Amino acid sequence: MSGLTQSFGIAALGGYVPLLRLDRKAAARELAWSGLPMPRTGTRAVADWDEDALTMAVEAARLLCPESAPDALRFASTSAYFTDRAQSGMALDALAMPRTVRTSDAANSRRAATSAMLDALLGGRDEIVTAGEKRPTQPGSAAQLAFGDGAAAVRTGPDAPARLAGHASFSHDLVDRYASRDHPFTYTYEERFVRDVAVAEVIMPVVRTACLAAGIAPGQLAHAAVHEPVGGCWRAAAKALGCKAPNHCEAVSDIVGDLGTAHAIYGLGLALDTAEVGDFVLLVGFGSGADAMVFEVTGPVPGASAMAAALKEGQVLVSYSRFLSLTGSLELDWGMRAEFEQKAQATVLERVGRDMIGFVGGRDSTGNVQFPKSAFPANPALSEVEKMEDERLADLEATIVSITADRLNFSPDPPFDFGLVQFENGARVLMEMVNRPAEGFRVGDRVRMRLRIKSQNRRLGFRTYFWKAAPLMRPVLGDA
Amino acid sequence: MATGIRDKVAIIGMGCTRFGERWDVGADGLMVEAFLEALADAGIERARIEAAWVGNALDDINVGNSALPAAHALRLDKVPVTRVENMCATGTEALRGAAYAVASGAVDVALAIGVEKLKDTGYGGLPLRTKGMQNDLWMPYGSAPGTFAQLAGAYAARHGIPAGDLKRAMAHVSWKSHQNGALSPKAHLRGAVDMDKILNAPLIADPLGLFDCCGVSDGAAAAIVTTPEIARALGKADPVTIKAIQLSASNGWEMQFGAWDGASVPNTRAAAARAYAEAGIRDPRAELDMTEVHDCFSITELVIMEDLGLSEEGRAPVDILDGRYDAGGAIPCQLDGGLKCFGHPVGASGLRMAYEVYTQLQGRAGDRQRSKVDFGLTHNLGGSPFNSVAAVAILGRLN
Repeated sequence: MSGLTQSFGIAALGGYVPLLRLDRKAAARELAWSGLPMPRTGTRAVADWDEDALTMAVEAARLLCPESAPDALRFASTSAYFTDRAQSGMALDALAMPRTVRTSDAANSRRAATSAMLDALLGGRDEIVTAGEKRPTQPGSAAQLAFGDGAAAVRTGPDAPARLAGHASFSHDLVDRYASRDHPFTYTYEERFVRDVAVAEVIMPVVRTACLAAGIAPGQLAHAAVHEPVGGCWRAAAKALGCKAPNHCEAVSDIVGDLGTAHAIYGLGLALDTAEVGDFVLLVGFGSGADAMVFEVTGPVPGASAMAAALKEGQVLVSYSRFLSLTGSLELDWGMRAEFEQKAQATVLERVGRDMIGFVGGRDSTGNVQFPKSAFPANPALSEVEKMEDERLADLEATIVSITADRLNFSPDPPFDFGLVQFENGARVLMEMVNRPAEGFRVGDRVRMRLRIKSQNRRLGFRTYFWKAAPLMRPVLGDA
Repeated sequence: MATGIRDKVAIIGMGCTRFGERWDVGADGLMVEAFLEALADAGIERARIEAAWVGNALDDINVGNSALPAAHALRLDKVPVTRVENMCATGTEALRGAAYAVASGAVDVALAIGVEKLKDTGYGGLPLRTKGMQNDLWMPYGSAPGTFAQLAGAYAARHGIPAGDLKRAMAHVSWKSHQNGALSPKAHLRGAVDMDKILNAPLIADPLGLFDCCGVSDGAAAAIVTTPEIARALGKADPVTIKAIQLSASNGWEMQFGAWDGASVPNTRAAAARAYAEAGIRDPRAELDMTEVHDCFSITELVIMEDLGLSEEGRAPVDILDGRYDAGGAIPCQLDGGLKCFGHPVGASGLRMAYEVYTQLQGRAGDRQRSKVDFGLTHNLGGSPFNSVAAVAILGRLN
């Protein structure tokens, strides 16, 4: 802990939550016969079958990648798919960053992202920390309805609109919950025990110390983003600390669920969206201890308002069985068509994988763009072999040329929407569609690109990633 | 300047199995059935076959790759056998290989045989396959109805046709084929189906319903080809001859370059134009007496009518509803019931189509016989509308 005078802080924030929201009340009603205790208010975000911690983390981070690449890209998650393949490296290619950007993955703690963020701040580095979470949960557990899928990212840098004023970190192996190789679902201990110890032994001391480092009293905090291990922790701690700052992580929990490593940063986005210049804002990442950071707001933080707006959009998921299927809790017999599995080869990934996950096509000598690249251009005006210039399509909009909702083809979440899309730069690509609007897709619809899982070979434990087309806008979330 | 193969190759014998769910027989048995009929029809000994082309598109289903499954099944003794695969154009591709061998003078008598044992997949529809390891990284795995369904929306958008009107024209395509198929002893589906049932069937891929899709079947078909001179020497006074066989394959332009509107299939147009030129047909609407086209889906047949130049642009729905392509219409399409009723054992379909034209040209089609048939056209469309191989063949008589 230390007092800081430099203007390093949060340069920008980004967030991503999937389209679907499960109504907890409806889900709890399905399980009412069991008598099991579970949350009954609000909604939780549910990732599509082809979203995972990586895809969502990339979605959150892509908002933070304008022209200049950061010094480093950090990926944090407790539910990353690969255990010996750096997701940060894949994210780097998905975000089309240069290979000179340093990368690392952080895991095994819900505060992995805040710890990485604090390291970046203390090192005075321009870094992106992006956290994504899609945690497996068990039907009947409170966690299944309390957790949510989503991502949040932060970019640190100099002359930031939210300056790091003080910080503290406490390590404390409080086993409030855990997951392990032998128990991948969260195992939770008694809430009363967790709340008492977390408040007294972790949250209060770390917040008090961080405020001291910032040169303020806890009562001067205007807003907070505290990732609570169980509900009520901040209320108890704040009362004891003499602090009235609202905890914006509660709204995240209520609307999309506990986002694990991404939770505190998402809450920080909401806090900074509300905060005014001169306010002090608290961030607490919790898990095997806590990181606390106090930021002084000097201006609007890019991305914060979009994180708040994203919570108001979505589509209510009314089918509990579809929710179970999407979360992997229900294994439907999809028939023989589902038996087909691709095998990706490392040699092919080495040759073209970067163009795929980065959605990089080629610009020919006339300026026309195509995907994928080829020796002879697809452009009929050209007849000779030529070298194309890289042209990224991931950040562009396109228009649907042809479309169908395929009900024969296997999809874990039918129907399988796909068709040709046309980019204004000339590229035409056959693509899968995601985030199906209520009325379905139509020729002429405008679409944007989203990173998704292209294929998964469950037997070999491997996934490939590509981009899919989604509607430009999401519906405003109605009453769940 | 190439002169093409018009009237350089005669078909002296053809065979076609009953198509359907042939639980009783494997791919080898299907080939034997078609081959024996073709041999008997030709009136020659098996030993006269000097070369063979076998068409089989999906080698992972019980048939196996290379020449060997056919060479084994037919016990062709040290004969050069070539396996060909070109998606749904595979059967016509086999005929093309055999015909070119005869036309070139390389051999006197050649066999083309196509076979597929789709019902060994264990499920309906065509099996899923890899599209190549590089393409698998990005290309969607749409089903066949999924890819062809996309013609419908693009066609409706281009011509400003209300979806309901297009759906009715598509339904008429299927209704007509089921009417015809009822008269085809070798067809898989032989029952007439009424319009309401077609229109209200469950969706497979929007807007294609169940009856907009062709069946899935096992089957084989074969042709024995030779020179017109040998045909005459074998007693075929007025043999059926090949007037043209043409193919056109996508180079990726449709799905990678932005100029195509998705409402037609450029490869069909290219193959048809070349086939008409090769056959000496100047006005296909006046000169063609029948067509057997690739009606994998109703919308495909509708679009093909324009791609072959038989309907004006945007007029196919009207022509279809007017009965122009019905059995009693000006240019009947699918007199045997088409893929709709035979199903689509991929490697066999092109030769099955030729079998119907060949039968009609000889006046041997029984209840289905058209009064005047001088020229008949077959057409295959492999792949998808946006990435296809199209084959067009025209058959007639030598004299």
